[in-house]
Amino acid sequence: MPKSIRAGSGTRAAIFAPLDGAGRAELVLQRLTDAIVLGVLHDGERLPSEAALARQLGVATVTARDALEILRRNNLVQTKRGRDGGSFVTFTGGSATSLQEDRLLACSRVQVRDLGVHYCAIAGLAAELAADRASAADVDNLERILDRTDAGTADAARRGQGTFRLEVAALSQSARLVREELRLQAEFGSLLWLGLREPLRRQRCRAVQRETVAALVAENGARARQLTVSQIIESIEWLIEAKSVLERTGRSTTTGNGTTPVSSEAPV
Amino acid sequence: MTIIPEQKTPPTNAWVASIAAVFDPVFARLEQWANLVERYGARPGSVAERAELDPLVERLVIRAFADSDGTVIGAGFVSAPHFLGWHLAWWLGGQNAASPRLPADGIRHLETLEDPLDENFRDYTALEWWRVPAETGRRHITGPYVDYLCTDEYTLTLTLPVYRGVELIGVVGIDLSVDEIERDLVPLLGTDAVAVTVINASGRVVVSTDTHLATGALLRLPGLTRLLADPAPTDAAVGLHGAHTFQWCGRTGLAVVAGPAADRAPD
Repeated sequence: MPKSIRAGSGTRAAIFAPLDGAGRAELVLQRLTDAIVLGVLHDGERLPSEAALARQLGVATVTARDALEILRRNNLVQTKRGRDGGSFVTFTGGSATSLQEDRLLACSRVQVRDLGVHYCAIAGLAAELAADRASAADVDNLERILDRTDAGTADAARRGQGTFRLEVAALSQSARLVREELRLQAEFGSLLWLGLREPLRRQRCRAVQRETVAALVAENGARARQLTVSQIIESIEWLIEAKSVLERTGRSTTTGNGTTPVSSEAPV
Repeated sequence: MTIIPEQKTPPTNAWVASIAAVFDPVFARLEQWANLVERYGARPGSVAERAELDPLVERLVIRAFADSDGTVIGAGFVSAPHFLGWHLAWWLGGQNAASPRLPADGIRHLETLEDPLDENFRDYTALEWWRVPAETGRRHITGPYVDYLCTDEYTLTLTLPVYRGVELIGVVGIDLSVDEIERDLVPLLGTDAVAVTVINASGRVVVSTDTHLATGALLRLPGLTRLLADPAPTDAAVGLHGAHTFQWCGRTGLAVVAGPAADRAPD
């Protein structure tokens, strides 16, 4: 019964759904980071206690504690002591910006490009399959989602792009591609679409989304794939350019509203 | 000389019966649930409350999970907004990927966002599994689709409307795993002579004995779109594109298409 809860409670249910498999601490960390960065968990929101979190996710308390500790170090949550204490989400455009810039500086160009290759493989094929498998009703739904998407701010545009990519992946009808899309978004979504802090890039992103829907309507899989791949490559190149600027100038002087470009030298 | 389709096309009645044998017991269960919820809703002089109805629904769905050998992913009752407010009395099974820590017979209540003022709130009455049974008053099968926020499973959703008099008070539903449905259905459809494909009302393949037709793909045959969109569908088998036969599986939203396997150009 998933479509009912897709954007709202379902997302939340998914965040706190039990985890399975190896690397649980990383999975906990990844899931919570993603939820915070994508805005599913809001700024100021109180997280469940360590014990409750561990119970919900099906991990040991120490695993949940470790994950919360790293979130604290990454300035994504703040822990207050006392009767009204607990762990609270502290995520604003500003902390997002500096967090992502740190991340970009820490990645090599090779890693950033390889991320692009991996994401192209997943999202490109998903788009190609979607063109073959999307019904008229599916496309209508996708258009409604685009109409509702607000691309006014960097955060909204990033969330919108994440939702759009996930919807397209779902239209591929492949559970594996959907899982991989979710995993990549959780891991890199906020970094990958960092370029959307520039208004021009937000407009361009919206145009590509519309063109992709048109390619799905035309059942033109090659076109849908090409649009997706070139959008990802453009984004990767923006990141590499931004990384160069950061390396030259040291930390950027962003105002923290999440809409300021890294530098006017970043490619448009 | 023209080919008379009736002589060339395979009979589909037997497959329609096989498909019914898989889905009818699930719908029979949903009918029972609908009756119980209806009776609860119709009690004279008392207001319906979540705290009363939810445990009732939970007791019903526990049995469905226990009996289903993993086929059931989720089940429950979804309220019409004017009945209990925006509310899903919905449970997830212990055997799916989203609940690996639960014992096999354990179930988990689905926590949902029920405040219509919240920006993340979704109006579920616009969605296919609600909308179609609400409009037609009949059972409906939605999917297959990837349930990417709940269980990550490839899912079919079966729903049935629930009424108080003539007033719709909600739907009861069961989510089935497409993997398990494939396991149940393919042996029933298996013949070597013709390819048998079960599709939904959008023409999407649920299962097929044709190697070239993937579950989730759209079946493309001349005339199929027109048949699927026919406002006055017939229960009888219909000739399609020369050598194929098309037949609705009752009023479930599923249909069966039988005929030669899809051509595939040699590499």
